[in-house]
Amino acid sequence: MSALLVAEQLHKTYGTTTALTGADLAVHAGEIVSVMGPSGSGKSTLLHCAAGLTAPDGGLVTYAGQDLFALGDVKRSAVRRREFGFVFQFGQLVPELTALQNVALPLRLDGVARRVAERRAAGLMDRLGLAEKAPARPGELSGGQQQRVAVARALVTGPKVIFADEPTGALDSVTGEQVMDLLTDAARATGAAVVLVTHDARVAAYADRGVVVRDGRSSSRAGVR
Amino acid sequence: MTIATAFLALLEDRPQHGYDLKRAYDQHFGSDRPLHYGQVYTTLAKLLKNGLVTVDGTDGEGGPDRKRYTITEAGVTDVQRWLAAPEKPDQYLQSALYAKVIGALLTGRSAADVLDVQREEHLVAMRELTRRKRAGDLADRLICDHALFHLEADLRWLEHTTTVLDELAGQVRR
Amino acid sequence: MRRILAELGLGVRLAFAGGRRGGIRTAMATLGVAIGAAGLLFAASAPVMLDTRHQRTEARSDYVRGEVIPAGRTTIVASADAQWRDNPIRARLIWPEVPDAPLPPGVPAFPADQQMYVSPALRAALAGPDGATLRRQMPYDIVGTIAPIGLSGPHEFAYYAGYQRATTLVQRGSWRVDRFGFPEEPAPGTGTYVLVAVLLATLLLPVAIFIGAALRFGGDTRDRRLAAIRLIGADSRAVLRMAVGESLVPAGLGLLLGTALYLAVRSQIARFWLFDISVYPSDVHPVPVLAVLVVAVVMALSAGVTLLSFRGVTVEPLGVLRQAATWNGRLWWRLIPLVASLALLYPILLGRTDLGEERTGAGLVLLIAALVPLLPYLVPLVARVLPGGSVSWQLASQQLRRNPTGSTRAVSGIVVAVAGAIALQSLFGAAEGYRYGPTDPADPAFLLQAWGRQSPEAMRERTAAFERVDGVRAGTVAKYGLIGGDSYVGYLIVGDCAALRQIAALAGCKPGDAFTAGRVGRTMTLDISDTEPVAGPTIPVPAHARRATLTGTEAGSTGPSVLLTTMPARLAGVEPSFVETRMFTTGEPADVAGQVRGVAAEVEPLAMFTAMVPEADKFGSLRTALDIGSTLIMLMMAAGLLLDVTARLHERRRILGVLSAVGARDGTVIASVLLQVAVPVVAGLALAAGAGAVLGALLMRLSEIPIRFAAATILTPVAVGAGLVLVTTVAVLLPAIRRVTRTEELRYE
Repeated sequence: MSALLVAEQLHKTYGTTTALTGADLAVHAGEIVSVMGPSGSGKSTLLHCAAGLTAPDGGLVTYAGQDLFALGDVKRSAVRRREFGFVFQFGQLVPELTALQNVALPLRLDGVARRVAERRAAGLMDRLGLAEKAPARPGELSGGQQQRVAVARALVTGPKVIFADEPTGALDSVTGEQVMDLLTDAARATGAAVVLVTHDARVAAYADRGVVVRDGRSSSRAGVR
Repeated sequence: MTIATAFLALLEDRPQHGYDLKRAYDQHFGSDRPLHYGQVYTTLAKLLKNGLVTVDGTDGEGGPDRKRYTITEAGVTDVQRWLAAPEKPDQYLQSALYAKVIGALLTGRSAADVLDVQREEHLVAMRELTRRKRAGDLADRLICDHALFHLEADLRWLEHTTTVLDELAGQVRR
Repeated sequence: MRRILAELGLGVRLAFAGGRRGGIRTAMATLGVAIGAAGLLFAASAPVMLDTRHQRTEARSDYVRGEVIPAGRTTIVASADAQWRDNPIRARLIWPEVPDAPLPPGVPAFPADQQMYVSPALRAALAGPDGATLRRQMPYDIVGTIAPIGLSGPHEFAYYAGYQRATTLVQRGSWRVDRFGFPEEPAPGTGTYVLVAVLLATLLLPVAIFIGAALRFGGDTRDRRLAAIRLIGADSRAVLRMAVGESLVPAGLGLLLGTALYLAVRSQIARFWLFDISVYPSDVHPVPVLAVLVVAVVMALSAGVTLLSFRGVTVEPLGVLRQAATWNGRLWWRLIPLVASLALLYPILLGRTDLGEERTGAGLVLLIAALVPLLPYLVPLVARVLPGGSVSWQLASQQLRRNPTGSTRAVSGIVVAVAGAIALQSLFGAAEGYRYGPTDPADPAFLLQAWGRQSPEAMRERTAAFERVDGVRAGTVAKYGLIGGDSYVGYLIVGDCAALRQIAALAGCKPGDAFTAGRVGRTMTLDISDTEPVAGPTIPVPAHARRATLTGTEAGSTGPSVLLTTMPARLAGVEPSFVETRMFTTGEPADVAGQVRGVAAEVEPLAMFTAMVPEADKFGSLRTALDIGSTLIMLMMAAGLLLDVTARLHERRRILGVLSAVGARDGTVIASVLLQVAVPVVAGLALAAGAGAVLGALLMRLSEIPIRFAAATILTPVAVGAGLVLVTTVAVLLPAIRRVTRTEELRYE
């Protein structure tokens, strides 16, 4: 079975700082892969490149056989919108919108009519046990609730890959576990793959396998084990 | 913590038979290694001899193993002392892993490989524990968490050691 | 398409749900757009306003341009135009020659003799304080009101009086018309459009700057939000569309509010007047094309300002990239507008005034606009020149040098407003002083020129009539036109010694004396016609006549003349060309103007009455309007500055917080922020004072007024600007800084 998302030999420097020096990552459909590494190792950059958020200086990112960075911004944005989902550490919900509107946002960006989008969002939130938080604005939610809303939003388009960058980084361990439970259960239920960047081994333990990034390179055990 | 101390703690809750004690111990303390009946009765015999427990009766129709054990005043004091005294922090200076790292460095083999293999082993263990934890109740979760936190600590040590391997190698070779 | 609409719609939603800062931003931008839109709508209405006004004044025009219309189906009209305080009075004495003679518009029927129709404003003035004095000018019975169609505006003073005597004065004060509605050329409003252009630039530039400041407020939050949206799959153009959609909210709301403002002012517009112009609300509606243009301009402007704010900014999914805009302190392009404006205006400085309004207007507006790009160049210069030392100044000056555009954006509005205010105030101040000063001290305040045979007694009686008004000294002379040989000859002037002394410098005078001014012959021939010279009696110039010199404007306008203190017997049957009464006042001419005019009207309503000095401050109402306007603009600018500084504080709160955390005293931090505000303001105000003075000088040149400045006209706007800045920063900013410097802010980062 060939991998859904492949990043090969990625190189990336920010000014004088080298972030990636030949990192690889392969993600198969439906699997949960953790990316670990000390801070500054380049693990976030690897995720950003693999998700098409940051163009690498060298190397190739292919999703479903397509070179992501050969696509223009519009098409790449469309891939992000339809095929990918994102859960970041914080600051990802639009504070002006309610939780429901936030969850519906990716659908609306894709041109789905507002009522349809919000009905689908409401259904998803209901399944994830977030129904009562739907009318709240992000500012009225706790950190864990915000992250769960973010998980719902990442799932709403039925993505093939969910990118999670330190999704529990701002949470205490119990709340963090709840978010991880929700994320991995939902991903397994929908068959979405998850790329999970974390420095926390206990969070990484939710994955099926792990990749370690050190000094801008991924460990030799990056493949399936 | 010894089996004896665990029995005393269980008996302080309520008097029970040897068989119940084994079951309770397995449930709360011994999920990895169930007790043998032999261990149960030697432990109880030692506690009886030291006056920490007494036998307060036998069920009429049962055999010799139908004795019910009760904790004594001395036994309660023992439990109290156990709980009050902190565990001596272990100094893992001579741990097997450290020995392996030093060994690898001394013999010119890759210590990083040793650490990588160990990390993967730890992560596999953690994944397994996470799976178990998510299937179990709160008690299971806490037990798994305990192990997970320890493994995580080990991992951090592994990670840290990896970053200073070069320095360590220099010192070992000197 | 649906997606684009959804994106715009989302932007609109975001504008409404922006929290407190978003709310302030939307409200402020809305206010700015509203004021700008209302201003533009009025500008778009001006052509209609002036057009309808012109149509009405033309429809009632009886200006025959010297054409003599034969009697027939005709009306006889005579003008008794006058003045009451600062209101000119349009006065017509009319009499029909046949029953169906043409009737002026707005009047239902011909008034009977000594009856009149009055305009509502005149009726109110007659009933008002001192109405009795005004009444002397029009001692006719009021029988009705002139309808709006016969008036130029609601505040016009006008009356039509039935005046049978006018029939006896045809071609000698009255004339025939066979219709009303003679073509009237609009008075060439010298410099009016130039003034309007300067006014609009002074208003609209600050408004645009204010809108910009308002839209930038909370821009960092918006950028982060857009980045978050970008993360979940919006492409860069979609994000721009959302931002534009967001900016359309204040634009739309502002248009609505601006229209409401416009309608509100319009409904009350009949209460206002400027100079002698007042308009009916029904006259105020925008030219449709211009109204559509206003809407388009406002929408395009807000979208443009938004898109401009994204210049050098890339919204990426992971955050907002600002190109490290290394401050490019190059001067040359900043000088282009200034150089262009000076090139346009250069001839005016040399004294030419016939440049054409388009060129002058463009030059002046460019000159005002030129200030905006110059300021960011000036500020780092000042920052570099000022000696350093304290930590707070080091912080402030570095910030000023590194990002002068950001530091000066809000200030540039104040600079433009101050410069415009200085220029216009100086112009009006100088104009007022110029017009108030007597052209020649020897000239009277008022001059009455009447017709009819005169006797010395009648002339003395007329003088006495005027002198009965307190503070008035008068003198009456009869002027007889002379026919000379080849050369132009002036007048034979007959009056008593006191009256003659008002015209000429006499070396002693007693009754019976005679004087000559200039070269006259031994005899003089009188001209007894009104138009073509017709020789009348010839009388000798008395042999004992002494030499005298004419004074005042008389010296230039009257040719060689003979002055007599006694009336020769042969003149008794000859009607003089004019009987002139000169009135000098001991106090302010304006104080006695009403009474003097009343006396004059009693003497002869059709006589020519000339006020040689203004009876009222012509520019008073305009200056009041300007004061109110510039204060409002300044307030708006202060609000804009506040927004801008608050936004910058917000952006830098972390750094400021860290500074406090590492032990900088509050005073240091506060001083650095205050200096950052104060230096651009001081530099800007200096620039504004200079530019305002140049602008004012140019406008004075254009108006052919001697250039002069009063310190107050320059310093007042500067002081007001500085004061407002001080008040805003101290009263509102200090608490904000204190909040920012509280170190617990840090934990949010």
